Amino acid sequence: MPVEMRKEFFANERDDNLNEIGKPTQRQDILGHVTGRSPFYDDHLFEGLLHMRCVRSPHHHARVRSIDISQAERMPGVKRVILARDVPRNLNTLLSLLDFGLDDEPLISEKKVSYKGEPVCAIVAESERAAREACEKVRVDWEPLPAVFDVEEAIKPGAPSVNEAYPTNLFVYHDKYDHQKLRYGDVEAAFARADHIIEGRYQMSPIEQAPMETCGAIAAPETNDRFVCYTSTQALFFSLGTAAKLLDVSSARLHFIGGTVGGGFGGKVDSLHEPMAILGAMLTGRPCKYMFDRVEEMQVGAPRGAERWYLKDGVTRDGRIVARKFTGYFDSGAYTRLSSYAIIKAVGHLPGPYTIPNVYADVYCVYTNRTPATAMRGFGITGVDFAIETHMDKVAHAVGMDPIELRILNSYRDGDMKAHRRLAKNTALVECCQVAAEKAHWQISAAARHATSLTGGGGERAQLPAHTATDQQGLVPGGRTGGYARSTKRKEPDFAARPPQPAAPMPAAPAPQRPAASIEPVPSAPPAPPVAPRAPARFSSSISGLRRR
Amino acid sequence: MPLRVETYDRIEDAARALSTNRNARVIGGGTLLMRGVNAGVQGFDTVIVVRGGQSREIQSDGARLEIGAGVTMASIAANADLAFLAPAARVVGGPAVRAAATVGGNLFARPPFGELTTALLALGAQIHYVGHGTPQSIDDFLRERGRDRTRIVRAVSVPRIGDPSAFRFVKVTRVAPKGAAILSIAAHVPMQGGRVTGARIAVSNMGPTPLRAIGAERALEGQPLSDDTAQRAAAAMMEGLSPLTDELASEWYRREVAPVHLRRLLLPNHGR
Repeated sequence: MPVEMRKEFFANERDDNLNEIGKPTQRQDILGHVTGRSPFYDDHLFEGLLHMRCVRSPHHHARVRSIDISQAERMPGVKRVILARDVPRNLNTLLSLLDFGLDDEPLISEKKVSYKGEPVCAIVAESERAAREACEKVRVDWEPLPAVFDVEEAIKPGAPSVNEAYPTNLFVYHDKYDHQKLRYGDVEAAFARADHIIEGRYQMSPIEQAPMETCGAIAAPETNDRFVCYTSTQALFFSLGTAAKLLDVSSARLHFIGGTVGGGFGGKVDSLHEPMAILGAMLTGRPCKYMFDRVEEMQVGAPRGAERWYLKDGVTRDGRIVARKFTGYFDSGAYTRLSSYAIIKAVGHLPGPYTIPNVYADVYCVYTNRTPATAMRGFGITGVDFAIETHMDKVAHAVGMDPIELRILNSYRDGDMKAHRRLAKNTALVECCQVAAEKAHWQISAAARHATSLTGGGGERAQLPAHTATDQQGLVPGGRTGGYARSTKRKEPDFAARPPQPAAPMPAAPAPQRPAASIEPVPSAPPAPPVAPRAPARFSSSISGLRRR
Repeated sequence: MPLRVETYDRIEDAARALSTNRNARVIGGGTLLMRGVNAGVQGFDTVIVVRGGQSREIQSDGARLEIGAGVTMASIAANADLAFLAPAARVVGGPAVRAAATVGGNLFARPPFGELTTALLALGAQIHYVGHGTPQSIDDFLRERGRDRTRIVRAVSVPRIGDPSAFRFVKVTRVAPKGAAILSIAAHVPMQGGRVTGARIAVSNMGPTPLRAIGAERALEGQPLSDDTAQRAAAAMMEGLSPLTDELASEWYRREVAPVHLRRLLLPNHGR
């Protein structure tokens, strides 16, 4: 089917005279791929290459009483056995590079493991087989602990504590709440006025990205006291920053070479292969490769996380959704990785592409004894969109409306205010629905067929709610975690001096329209409230933008 | 210890080497063994290679067909005499695997692999060893598989199947066409006077080797192949079987779906 461009909906967004943008273009690596010449990290050969394998936890949750490496050290071909104590700075969280969240994950664990496959020891040997054989000879005395695999079980009192940095199994947002809040209007008041209340529960399982090339890296000593690292990473500068931090070296001493990724899909954004391989090279003085095998890729490699969503809609008799309330749980697995950020994205996206005057969300980032979750295409959005769209069908059924017409009726229009307090533009959902109905030969009413996203928005629909109900529910005792403050370089947040305020501060006026060509960050931040500027604190750059003040 | 490869010109010498080394494995087509080598499986440290491979002959003496241990899945699928076995050979791996994978290797394949062996079990095949005159029934072979590592299989023989509808095979996968099996079922249901006589039903992934579904066989024996019989066979199928739990399916799932697939296999036109 030929691609049909409907440029009229984005006319003010595009310049058709650009050389590349908007033009069909050949991706730059395709010639290498189709001729089999693209170099992958594992194509780089080094004389005297050593191989690294990890001893992994067979338990989902266990204390490590002791590790006996004496037999393994004596195995033929073994060059070095690496334990937690050999890692210069053995605690990190990926987004610490953006100053978001506490360091919560060791590179090699020492006292406790919180997911099946968590490494407690690494062996560097002359061959992969020798490394595997030595791994078999490491004796670990495990003390299995009760494990928790369900997000709602994990946050009940008395549940096993998974992550020592967050003992209640909940990530702490903005040094303040045990969940991410969205408050827009007053859902409870709107529910009281609605003709129908429609509730639903939706959940998605983790998804493995399953790249053809398993995650890995090769590191080797270079001259000038540097280390070169060939890696499969999708995020070279994340990997560089993470390696420099964990190994406590200047990033100027690390020479990272990325390039062709043999399939990533998000699973190679926060890999820990680079610091492992470099550590192996540092401790042996020889080139060192660390690569997942297929079983590790599936069991240990971070997947898209599981999510559970509860939705509650207030709907009028004619199908208008007047209030929507979300309670969401992201299963982060044992450590934070990127789930905290996925929730920020998700909440910025609520309530989906619809204009609903009252929206409420509490979204929790929960630790369980499952494999830590990470990025996968559209993460933070894909899961909740599944919940939203399935729920839209449920609402349509409940009010006796055609599901596409219900969407057109509630769809956002250009100029509408969204729950994250930005004006919507170039919405075009109405037209997407119309085209989908047309292509599927699905009959919709004349009114739905003639609806447009270009008009009918703005005006009253551009106004912020007259009243937004706020609350302090989920406030972490003391008004802060004390956690972020553990970082010595960070100033103590001054919660006592600040009056309570809504989690999402309300702007005095709708956001000004930006120039058409500007690129907005995702999620877009609400505009700063007009308060007296404070001295900039380092933590003020939270990626949600909500801490801007 | 690095992996050791021993190559022999004569299969008798290979058999002798095998009988003296518990950590040795004989390579057939290599589609499973080399996978183990690549994955660093620690269970063996020696690979025994017979130069020129094992027998690739398919011989017929009228009532029985003898298939050399080195015959590949692709050769079986292409052989007119073995047309009844083709449905089982054709679902092993993809074309590249079938071009290499051998009968001898399949006999030792662990779950979830071993479609051909499941078919051979239903057919009541016999196993012929190098240097041993007396063949062994496949039932005995599978019962002892893995315990006796000292003999090399030379060939298997199966009865020639005259009526093609008397032998049926299905492999159940999540990923078509070449995903590993959730289970496979082979049913040999010869008819005499409109009644099943000498039924043998074999099913894979219900234990460490393909196993016979004795309950289903009993329900079929002496009965016409009707809706009722098929229902009863399906209901009795799981008697004595312990389905495996692996990455493909849980014990519960296999237990629930196996009878459904047996019923469909016995009554292919039912409900169509």
